[in-house]
Amino acid sequence: MIDFSVRCAALLLICVATCQSALAQQVDYRTEIKPLLAEKCYACHGALKQESDLRLETRALMDRGSVLVAGSPNESELLARVSAQGDGRMPPHGEGSALRDDEIDLLRRWIGQGAKAPDEAIPKSPSEHWAFLPIQRPDMTLAAGQNPIDGLLTQQRRLFGVTTTQPASRTIALRRLYLDLIGLPPTLDQLDDDRAWEVIVDQLLESDAHAERWARHWMDVWRYSDWYGLGQQLRVSQKHLWHWRDWIIGSLAEDKGYDRMVMEMLAGDELEPNDPEVVAATGFLARNYYLFNRTTWLDSTIEHTGKAFLGLTLNCAKCHDHKYDPISQVDYYRFRALFEPHQVRLDQLPGESDLDKDGLPRVFDDHIDEPTYLHIRGDAKNPDTSRVISPGVPAILEDLAPPIVPIDLPHEAYAPGTRPHVQQQRLRQAIEAVDVAEKELKAAKKGLAQKVSDTETASTKTFEFTDEFDAADTEAWELVGLGWEYAGGMLKQTKPTRERYMARLRQPLPRDFEMTCRYTTTGGTTYKSVTFRFDQSADGKHANYVYSSAHAPAPKVQAAYTRDGKDHYPGEGRTPTKIEVGHQYQLKFAVRDTLVNVWLDGEFLQAYRFPGPRREGSFSLSAFDATVAFDSLSIRSLPPDLELTESGQVPMDAESALSLAESKHRVAVARVASVQATIAADRSKHLKEPDADLLANAAVRAQALLQKRIAELNQLGRDDKAKQASAQELRKANERLAAAESGAVDYLPLKGSRKALETPAHSESQYPHVYSATSTGRRLALARWVTNHQNPLTAHVAVNHIWMRHFGSPLVDSVFDFGLRAKPPRHQAVLDLLADELIQNGWSLRHLHRLIVTSDTFRLRSSTAGEQANHRLDPENQLYWRANARRMESQVVRDSLLQLAGQLDSTIGGPSIDPAKGGNRRSLYFLHSRDQQDRFLSLFDDADLMQCYRRSESIVPQQALALSNSKLAIEMSATIARQLPAESEEAFVRSAFETILCRDANDEELAACVSFLKNGDDRTRAQLVLAILNHNDFVTIR
Amino acid sequence: MTNTPNARVTRRTLLGSGLGFGSLALTAMLNGEGDAAEFTAPSGKPHFAPKAKNVIWLFMRGGVSHMESFDPKPALNQYAGKTISETPFAAVQDPEKLKRVRVVVVNDANGQQRNKIYPLQVGFKKYGQSGIEVSDWFPHIGLTIDDIAVIRSMYTTDDNHGAQVQFHSGRHMLDPRVPTIGAWVTWGLGTLNENLPQFISIGPRFFDKRDGHYLGPAYDSVGLKVDPNNPLDYAKPEGDIRSGEQRKTFDLVRRLNRLAAREYPNDSSLDARIKSYELAYRMQTAVPDVIRFDTETANTKRLYGLDQKETRPFGEKLLAARRFAEQGVRFIQIMHGDGAAGAWDQHSNLKAKHAELSMQVDRPIAGLIQDLKQRGMLDETLVVFATEFGRTPGSQGANGRDHHPFGFSVWMAGGGIRGGMVHGSTDELGFHAVEKPHYVTDIHATLLHQLGLHSHRLHVPGHKRLERDFGTVIDEIRA
Repeated sequence: MIDFSVRCAALLLICVATCQSALAQQVDYRTEIKPLLAEKCYACHGALKQESDLRLETRALMDRGSVLVAGSPNESELLARVSAQGDGRMPPHGEGSALRDDEIDLLRRWIGQGAKAPDEAIPKSPSEHWAFLPIQRPDMTLAAGQNPIDGLLTQQRRLFGVTTTQPASRTIALRRLYLDLIGLPPTLDQLDDDRAWEVIVDQLLESDAHAERWARHWMDVWRYSDWYGLGQQLRVSQKHLWHWRDWIIGSLAEDKGYDRMVMEMLAGDELEPNDPEVVAATGFLARNYYLFNRTTWLDSTIEHTGKAFLGLTLNCAKCHDHKYDPISQVDYYRFRALFEPHQVRLDQLPGESDLDKDGLPRVFDDHIDEPTYLHIRGDAKNPDTSRVISPGVPAILEDLAPPIVPIDLPHEAYAPGTRPHVQQQRLRQAIEAVDVAEKELKAAKKGLAQKVSDTETASTKTFEFTDEFDAADTEAWELVGLGWEYAGGMLKQTKPTRERYMARLRQPLPRDFEMTCRYTTTGGTTYKSVTFRFDQSADGKHANYVYSSAHAPAPKVQAAYTRDGKDHYPGEGRTPTKIEVGHQYQLKFAVRDTLVNVWLDGEFLQAYRFPGPRREGSFSLSAFDATVAFDSLSIRSLPPDLELTESGQVPMDAESALSLAESKHRVAVARVASVQATIAADRSKHLKEPDADLLANAAVRAQALLQKRIAELNQLGRDDKAKQASAQELRKANERLAAAESGAVDYLPLKGSRKALETPAHSESQYPHVYSATSTGRRLALARWVTNHQNPLTAHVAVNHIWMRHFGSPLVDSVFDFGLRAKPPRHQAVLDLLADELIQNGWSLRHLHRLIVTSDTFRLRSSTAGEQANHRLDPENQLYWRANARRMESQVVRDSLLQLAGQLDSTIGGPSIDPAKGGNRRSLYFLHSRDQQDRFLSLFDDADLMQCYRRSESIVPQQALALSNSKLAIEMSATIARQLPAESEEAFVRSAFETILCRDANDEELAACVSFLKNGDDRTRAQLVLAILNHNDFVTIR
Repeated sequence: MTNTPNARVTRRTLLGSGLGFGSLALTAMLNGEGDAAEFTAPSGKPHFAPKAKNVIWLFMRGGVSHMESFDPKPALNQYAGKTISETPFAAVQDPEKLKRVRVVVVNDANGQQRNKIYPLQVGFKKYGQSGIEVSDWFPHIGLTIDDIAVIRSMYTTDDNHGAQVQFHSGRHMLDPRVPTIGAWVTWGLGTLNENLPQFISIGPRFFDKRDGHYLGPAYDSVGLKVDPNNPLDYAKPEGDIRSGEQRKTFDLVRRLNRLAAREYPNDSSLDARIKSYELAYRMQTAVPDVIRFDTETANTKRLYGLDQKETRPFGEKLLAARRFAEQGVRFIQIMHGDGAAGAWDQHSNLKAKHAELSMQVDRPIAGLIQDLKQRGMLDETLVVFATEFGRTPGSQGANGRDHHPFGFSVWMAGGGIRGGMVHGSTDELGFHAVEKPHYVTDIHATLLHQLGLHSHRLHVPGHKRLERDFGTVIDEIRA
């Protein structure tokens, strides 16, 4: 009892103590209350919306709304509403989660303590937000010849008592300039270049290497990704997206205006429908393709159009109005409506009709009447179908938007099959097919003749070898291993073994050959196999072979192969057949390229294709678990006109072959006619000529005839199922022909494009060959709005990206969010100045680069040595009083290694390269997708596919391992070392520092390195170079 | 809501090098009052006294049939061949109850309901003092059941294999990618071993091969293979360099970088890089040493099934996991089952395939628990057994089960988790998690709690985490 009460009292004491201390604690408005209100209340009760005329951003505003009674929490409406249950609760259901008990308690205590808060200025209305205001070129007076960037920044530095540091040495500045502008380090000659800085700058800016370097930057911002999926199923982005990458490079190389680039990316197909060079830009949109979910696809498009060009986080308004910015949920769906009609397709390009090999990925307006609905709370399954949302830009800047004007497209754009190159290509293919069919027909006729006369083809025999094995012929054969004997006119293997004993033919075989051998399996243990190997490598790890096995439960003849030392026995290469011990057989096989046909005792057994490509190697006879007697063998070149049966097929007699060839020929001829008729019909239809109907009817007939010919061909198939199907086809073709006579059906226009599947439930064949002749013009209107000179966001956002990549830190930290939460930039005047410069100079990026890199600020040194005062005042270098040291981006690391070794392949553009295949092209050409990324690049923070407005710069040990252990680093070190002067250790070290780090080695460095090299050789020198490549000053842009 | 850009150098990008801090003197002056001050980066110390130090995370890729592993449903035998609507439990298909799922692939052949009840393909036994029932496919795990808390009331919202990513990140495939649980743990806690990476991943991954996401690549797991000769990328020179030569080269690099540090006194990146080279050099030997099993006894190896062809591959990974845990690696993530969909995906042939797969993992996992226990490590090592989702009570085709996100089982052991208990339940058919249902992030929250971390304190400015992302600690299974 006593015990209990004591414990109780103790508990009570503890409680009182803690409660008192909590009560006694003053609640701090700025750190405890304001953030809470900001999170829970400001979205509706702030400058943005002012719902119920109530704002809560300052104490004065709260008083104005009479929601507080200082000192009396229980009389305060604010507290009542946040702690209410049910409908009256704030924030309301769906607008935010309820306050937790501890948060309510905090509010209670704050009000109880008198609701103390400092006087604060009332936040401005969103339209006064700095980023939404027109760009104003700053007033300034510059010293003669002074770069305006320097003018503005020196003024700022002066204001804060910070002085500008010394310029970097010429060589370090040059290295920085080269890496910055072209992504490659300068050569020794380039370091010695004493021409004026501006001259060098111009030369670099005009180089292709500059376009490649900055293309990679923009590929980050614009989310470049090659396609990926599962196996062959394309799920994300598009095949051949490199055309867009090459468009970026090309645009930068010609210094296309940034405004024009943006326009082409958003609406190139509406701007220049017939110019593939412009349409290629829409790869920007095609990249967002997502097979499984249209909403996800459009969400990405909306989000990244907003972030990349406008610095607006539109994505935050998908489920509800934006919490911070003046973007309503309706704005979000208006923006979606701009993109609603568009779909993605691959257009055929000149020279390649196989769209899996090449094609232009692009967008186009497909469903021009597709309505857009607001998704209630962002739920695609719950659209508000009571109201169709009309396309438009966010209300805040909508005054600048031009009207949306639909665009009539030229027929080549919406009917890609009418492009001359497509027509020509299709026709050429059809004609070539006729040529092939004619040849086959001729051969088939000859085959028949041959059969009739039973004469051998007099083909040129380049190789002929026969052996009756009457006597040992050591010139011809190399007998490997034990057990070989010549006896009784036979070559015998008398020891059953699994060792590689063999009779190897010394002469090489022709690539295509025919072998015939008579032999008897005379005995053996388990498998009793007799093997005929060819293409056999010296180490035996690679070969193709045919063998017979007299293994009792399952005797067979098998085509098999060895790859990387592993034997493979494919099911398709196996024919179970009776092979008995003691019985003589004649095995014959013929090989053409990877195809083999096998006969046993004159009877066709099988056709099989070995996995290619073929390699050269030797021919041999051997036994496995068997004894064997070879009676005779002959090998000869395969007659070129000897027809082999294709794998998976059975051979046919000469009569059938002839009727097949004839049928194929008829198909080929009908196809030419069909293509010609279709082209003629397409042409007259799009030119609206009077004979259009007539030609259309001719096309239907030609197409139906083709259909009929194909069905007839299929009738010759051996498979009953196929025959049945073709009977139906034939009926349909006849019906169609009849319908064509009466003019009841339309012809199928020529196809020049492949639309990406809208969902996995679709199949490509259900899509029409001709698309909408009208484009809605919505995206073009959007593009014109984005690039309107009055739009304050576009130039600001672009300038900020560019600045960040030159200086290592941006002017506005939140590079993709210029909304209300983005603080005014540290150097608004600089941002404004450069934005104005950009616009006034035709949006020339080159102009901007030039202005920036010719400033003194760009050329300052990065060290803080001797700069204690500056460093104390501005440790983060917000005033750019010195240069920021940065780590090279992943691509620059690899490209520089190759460049220093003189190994960089400077070929520009083209299909993306599989990183596994390697090579020495610049890194931006590597495939970059979820499934394919170069592992070396990945370790150095390669661009994030999903979003990469700014690269990360991590420092992790795996980078050290990559730079010291990778084949790339090791090989390049050795190559560089070989190119440096080896006459003295000192000369070598000095030259290594200059070449790799673009600076002289100081005495201590020199001493350390010379001592490293002492008594060394090539290896040591290579390792010294490797060490310098691992120097912090290599991966760092100083 | 809005996202801030990737910071150039995030907190402790390396080894607590202090990058990204720096004096705020002028920063404050230039920016006015900064609201960044409200955010405190993790100190590398737990928020409160932890129960566990390391996590061994075992993930069965594909979906393990919950009814045929840890949640037996005799009703399936009783109603075999009937449609669900013919059973007394027809209400499980009430459309309202099925709303939870968010379909990625509309009209996909996967993730559908299968109506015809498919009987259990394996028997059950009670194990241990707790008498918890475990299927005959997991007899060895059954023997350790008194150390395990089985959670039979899991659900997720993706009915296709995006659930792989979802179980690790808490976010659906259609949402943006966010950091995984392993990344949060590594971000929140300091290192225990300077020679080894803190977050290791072994085994196949498919839909998302990264972990750090907005926390930065420094929080991605380091992918390893259990091959002492080639355990990680660039672990040894891909060229002719001898180890003595390499030591000399590394020494020279350090010497030169230290000299450079004089030239660049306040360059924290340079300091970090010097340290990274030291760690890299040590890692080259430390990592292979951990996965070299010479010092392990034959008994231990047998425990993990290294003596048997079927169990050896997974057993080696688990033995490596124990050795990494021993060395202080925080988070060891081990995936089982190849392919995009994962091996545990028996749309057909469930009996034979599940039996085969269970056999591959059963002995090694039981061995791991036993080994941790005998070494006194189980108290501080949390073992999680998880999978993407369960499988349908109804049959797909003749002999398979489809994906089933509405109810499935996972389990946890060690690290202060109560053993020998079952938490939550599904209905009689194993269809819905009915009693104490848990979304995947509740597993995260519980795990973080055992490590001494409040999940709510794991966030960075500009990247809003939803209440659901943080999850709720499952108190009932904590010892």
